Amino acid sequence: MLKEIKGRVWKLGDNIDTDIIYPGKCLPILDPQEMAKHALEGYDKEFPNKIQKGDIILGGSNFGCGSSREQAATSLKYAGISCIIAKSFSRIFFRNAINQGLALVQSKEAYDLIKPGEVITVDYVKGEIVTENERIPFPPLPEVVMGILEDGGLIEHLKKSLKK
Amino acid sequence: MKVPRKEELLKLQAQYKTDRKIGQVLGVPAYLVAYWRRKKKIPKYSLPKYGFEKIKELWETHGDDRKAGKELSISKAAFYKWRRKYNLLEKPKVLKLAQLEFLLPGSARGKNRGLTIAQKGLALKAGKSEVQVGEIVYVEPDLAMSHDNAGLVIKQFREIGVAKVWNPDKIVIPLDHRAPAESEKTAEAHRSIRLFVKEQGIKNFYDIKEGICHQVVIEKGHILPGELAVGTDSHTTSYGCLGALSTGIGATEMAAVWATGKIWLRVPESLKLTINGRLPLGVYAKDVILYIIGALTVEGANYKSVEFYGDTVENMSVSERFTLANLSMEMGGKFAIVPFDNVTRKYLKGRTKKTYQPIFADENAMYENEYEYNISRLEPQVACPHNVDNVKSIDEVKGIKIDQVLLGSCTNGRIDDLEIAARLLKGKKVHPDTRMLVLPGSKSIYLEALKKGIIKTFLEANCVVLNPGCGPCLGAHEGLLAKGERCLATTNRNFKGRMGSTESEVYLASPATAAATAIRGEISDPRDFLKK
Repeated sequence: MLKEIKGRVWKLGDNIDTDIIYPGKCLPILDPQEMAKHALEGYDKEFPNKIQKGDIILGGSNFGCGSSREQAATSLKYAGISCIIAKSFSRIFFRNAINQGLALVQSKEAYDLIKPGEVITVDYVKGEIVTENERIPFPPLPEVVMGILEDGGLIEHLKKSLKK
Repeated sequence: MKVPRKEELLKLQAQYKTDRKIGQVLGVPAYLVAYWRRKKKIPKYSLPKYGFEKIKELWETHGDDRKAGKELSISKAAFYKWRRKYNLLEKPKVLKLAQLEFLLPGSARGKNRGLTIAQKGLALKAGKSEVQVGEIVYVEPDLAMSHDNAGLVIKQFREIGVAKVWNPDKIVIPLDHRAPAESEKTAEAHRSIRLFVKEQGIKNFYDIKEGICHQVVIEKGHILPGELAVGTDSHTTSYGCLGALSTGIGATEMAAVWATGKIWLRVPESLKLTINGRLPLGVYAKDVILYIIGALTVEGANYKSVEFYGDTVENMSVSERFTLANLSMEMGGKFAIVPFDNVTRKYLKGRTKKTYQPIFADENAMYENEYEYNISRLEPQVACPHNVDNVKSIDEVKGIKIDQVLLGSCTNGRIDDLEIAARLLKGKKVHPDTRMLVLPGSKSIYLEALKKGIIKTFLEANCVVLNPGCGPCLGAHEGLLAKGERCLATTNRNFKGRMGSTESEVYLASPATAAATAIRGEISDPRDFLKK
């Protein structure tokens, strides 16, 4: 059951595209641990080394726009990112992240209220982001999406339903 | 058993027609129903008589016994009997255009609120009479396309633990992104795909020889009007050029489709774009769609289905419509659809033997937004680094020095694209400080270009002609950019680092602008060459 996610915030801008998150030259990599070494390389070459396990990304609008490459979501997850909060997500990235079991929160308000480096808590049960001074509510994800996320991704979700 | 009253019996007859069926419902033999009926003076249900004209019309509209029968509320077999009686034995080759308006059964018809193409298409696939925007439906796609990333799909598919794919005939895999293999890792992936398609009996596998996946899908008739496709490539939206609903998904999701044949989709809001006016000299479909993306922004159609209308679109070839549908992805589009018409029908002639059912929006369909454009005074457009909506008119950017020009990709690698570029390059040379790469979209385009002497023109102009594929478009191989270099490309993305160094730049434009730029070595107006 997905309840609370606590982590330090990395604040990025609008239109963080899939080429910035995961470069095309690394697409032949199949090992997720190896993918993680290139997460957000286009934004900052050192980014994968700077991430601590559990960190949260705060993006602007249209996060993950561009390619259908799910390595963008996979690499972030395996690099240790626990959750991405953004004003809006690009359609395919949204699905990919959920399918990888990477938690997402869509919130238009959060971006201006949260500072980089701040430690925040995402409370999925109450549907709010808790910062030092604020409680920012966010809308719940659709049931089908939440089901996949809670099982830890589409593969696990499917395995579970196939067993039934 | 209580004997039903006359009203009840009449109601049952209206619903179930025959004594036998009424008997089944009530759990009594048919003769008992007949007895009650006679006592209550209810005449026996008689089949309505259908004339030749009616049967012929329905047959030519649907070309399918089940669907035609449904219109008369009779079974597939009953419709066939009528058809046989009138000697209508051959399947209609083309469904009648005037009658192609897709009819939804039940509540959706005749009511005041109309439905969009996305709503009708998804309702049809979900087996529902109507779906609402925002509703989540489970559907079986007609096509599941993957390219080189089938390697990753296979890995995830194995993880799920299902032995066989749900339907090998609905899976299409062309290798194009890194073709031929640029690295050992890719070679391994290609090998695993070749073994997998044999193991699973996937016949629609196109090895590195054939061309860019989306182009191959269209050329080989793997997608038809009204059908639903998913593909592990964002530019899967391209199939909307044939009036199909198609969209991109990730590899894990595709693995799930392979395993189960099902995917959940949210019924999207729709945008109606109406484009009118005659394309001016030197202005093409690419300029039109870049202009629109500039106006609507890169997330202007995020999660939404885009429908294209207007006389400009009606006069466009399938290739030009492809460019519109393909680039609609760059404003976030889930589907991008040019409704089926005579142009589509002609294109499909000879490419498929299957019948298809085009889908049209209701005239009073509910759109989230409607936009109208008149493009008769549009100028050539260029999308500048590093976003596709950073669009400028040619006058604002001409003169910028360019190191590499790239002509090709699923966006603009078709024969009309090569033709217009060759027209500008004929008898000229690529500027000595610039290099120009040409990648025909597919083998058949390559062959046609050879036949027309276009390839010769390119070679004589000092272009480098590469094999059909994606190559440098996504920075995979064959012409990456060094730090500080600039490329003008006919491709679809100009993201930072897309084509190589994160300190390089990509500008997007039409094939004509690309050729003009190659000749001068700086961003140039194609009209300078076309006027002469």
